[in-house]
Order: sequence, then C-alpha cells, then structure tokens
Amino acid sequence: MSRINDVGGMQGFPPVEQEADEPAFHADWEAHVFALNRALIGRGVYNLDEFRDAIERMPPQEYLASSYYEKWFRAITTLLAQKGVLTEEEMAGG
Amino acid sequence: MSGDHTGPAATIAARVRHVEGLLEQRGLVDSQELDRALEAFLARASPANGARLVARAWLDNGFRGRLLADGNAALPELGLSMGGGLQEQRLNVVENTEDSHNVIVCTLCSCYPIALLGPSPTWYKSEAYRSRVVRDPRGVLREFGFEPGPEVKINVWDSSAESRYMVLPRRPAGTGDLDEPALAALVTRNGLIGVAPV
Amino acid sequence: MAELFSPGDRVRTSLADPPHHTRLPRYARGALGTVVEHQGRHPLPDRRARQLPAEPEPVYTVRFAAAELFGEGDHTVTIDLWESYLRPAVPEGIR
Repeated sequence: MSRINDVGGMQGFPPVEQEADEPAFHADWEAHVFALNRALIGRGVYNLDEFRDAIERMPPQEYLASSYYEKWFRAITTLLAQKGVLTEEEMAGG
Repeated sequence: MSGDHTGPAATIAARVRHVEGLLEQRGLVDSQELDRALEAFLARASPANGARLVARAWLDNGFRGRLLADGNAALPELGLSMGGGLQEQRLNVVENTEDSHNVIVCTLCSCYPIALLGPSPTWYKSEAYRSRVVRDPRGVLREFGFEPGPEVKINVWDSSAESRYMVLPRRPAGTGDLDEPALAALVTRNGLIGVAPV
Repeated sequence: MAELFSPGDRVRTSLADPPHHTRLPRYARGALGTVVEHQGRHPLPDRRARQLPAEPEPVYTVRFAAAELFGEGDHTVTIDLWESYLRPAVPEGIR
C-alpha cells in the first residue's frame, strides 16, 4: 500500500520555506537523535532499511505533523520496542 | 526545569535524554562516544567541501573530468571522502551546462550526500519540496528566485537508491580573475542541490 | 549474475503497489524509461527492511520524461532503481 512518505508528485503542499543560515541541528536533542540512530545501526540493533520502514509506517497524520527528527525519534523508539531492546513503559519513563 | 520525562506531555528533548540514558544503562550506547562522533562528523562534513570541489573543477579541466567520471576516486585529491558514515556511498556529480540544469531531491525520505556536505537544509527534507520538485521543478526554482530560460532542459535526480548526488554549477561569467578560494566562496549549498545557479 | 539491462535500454517499471517498504516511488510505477547507467549492486531494500536474505542485485539510473510520469512538463526525472523494479519495455509497434 502506498505510504505517506511517498510524496513525489503529490499536490497540495505549501510553498517551500527557506530558513536563512540555518544551523546543522536546531536543538541538542536533534543532534542526539542523529547520533543515536547512527550508533544503533552501527551496532546492528536494526538496519537502515528497517529504520526507513519504521518511519513510513507512522500513521499519516502523525507523519505529516512531525518534524524531521521527531519522525526519526518515533522510528527509533518503535524499533527498540519491536526488537525487545526497551519496553514502551520504560521509554515512557514509567 | 528540564520537564517531566513521562507521557506525551514530556518535551521531546527530555524523552530523547531519557531513552539515551536507558540505552547507556544497557551498554548499547556511550554518551561520550556519541558526542565525539557528532563532533567529528560536523567537523569534516560541510558545504564548503562541495564548494572546494566545484572551484577546483572550474580551474582544472582534468579534475573536472575525473570528478564527473568517478566522484569517490576524485575526492581524495582534495583530501575529501564520502567515508566516515555508516557505509561509503557512491557520489555522482552532475554538471550544469548552458542548455541543461540539474536539481537533486529524495522524494521518499531525504537522502543527501551528508558525509561530504553535512546535514541537508530543512526545506530539502520537507514534503513541500519532495512532492513538487519532480512534478514542477520550474515552479520550485521560481520559489527560490531562479528562473532558467525555456531553452534550458531541466533534469531532476531522485536519489532513491544508494548513490548520492551533487550538482556541479556553471562558473559564473566575469570570474576569470578569481583564485580558487574566491571561486569556492561563490558556491552555495543551494547551488550544489540545484535550486540556485551557483 | 549479469546485469539484465545496459545503458540505452528501454525499461518499464513495475506497476505493483507492495504492502511493504520499497524504493520505487509511486509516481514512477508502470512508467517507460531509458537506462542511463549502472549504479552498482545492492541488496533489495524491500527485503532488507523485513530482514529477509537479499543478495546484491544491479541498480540502474533510469531517465523518464515528465510527460510520461505526470502527463505534462518539459523536464526529465532520473531515478535509481533496483533491477527487481524493472522489466524490458516492449518495443514500440509490437502488440
């Protein structure tokens, strides 16, 4: 089934917005998500294709409402739970 | 102060810290190692690398040919590489000419030569860019203030596999006197993606 | 396993709408394109995403006319596609 990430040619999105002189990461947490993902893939906890797949399986409304690194973090937590590395409860802080 | 790390009301920053902490407890990541890797990545990868390659290609026709034929093999001539990431990816450099212009996108996610150029701009990752540029590249370029003439053929590269793409922009007119660093200073990240002439 | 296609070959992309991860964008399904060059050999991500064994297979850079993809436009779109996504195009004029 066509997934929400597959947007090539899709109509209805707003004009492209540029941010002047934008930093590599807008917040520390973004940089940490970036680094975490590399480390987890490097360690073989999951592979890059599984990671992309996890992003694509986000509910469409959530996908479109999430920022880029929010999508990444969502995929990471999904995979960690799926692979039995951490539980949803642990990650929720409970 | 830092926010409750429980439930949906928690800030994402707190949730990321929490998960990183749990992974560290499990011995799966090391926070110091994460910081080191991040620093190393940001130090080596930036659009300035792309600008240097372009300036050298403008000045040295032999290098230009080698860069276009095999980007990965040519990068070390300037002390650069596509390594340092998860896996070294093939770099394809595509050249703008008088009658052809190239634009890069990854419609499916946001693939980009980050090992060389650093993180892509936020707009490159947006659904707005990814959806429109394959269907209406002239419209998107117009949003960036760039309107190639109708005689210029536009090709959009969708980086859908393992190779990564960078544009070799045309050398602007009237730059015959400039040295390599001055030429490199003319090259923008937007030019390397193809939404600007240089 | 030799490459099925060479630069210049006309190919048609799969029309399939798979229920899993894939790297054939929907806008390029069932489209007629021309192979530009080989792009190495890599395991099929459709299988890797499901942790299925996947031997490296040829990947091709394929060029499509915008009109073929969207019914309008004077540009081309070039996409890197795994061999599994491609079939030889039936030569024009042959039923």
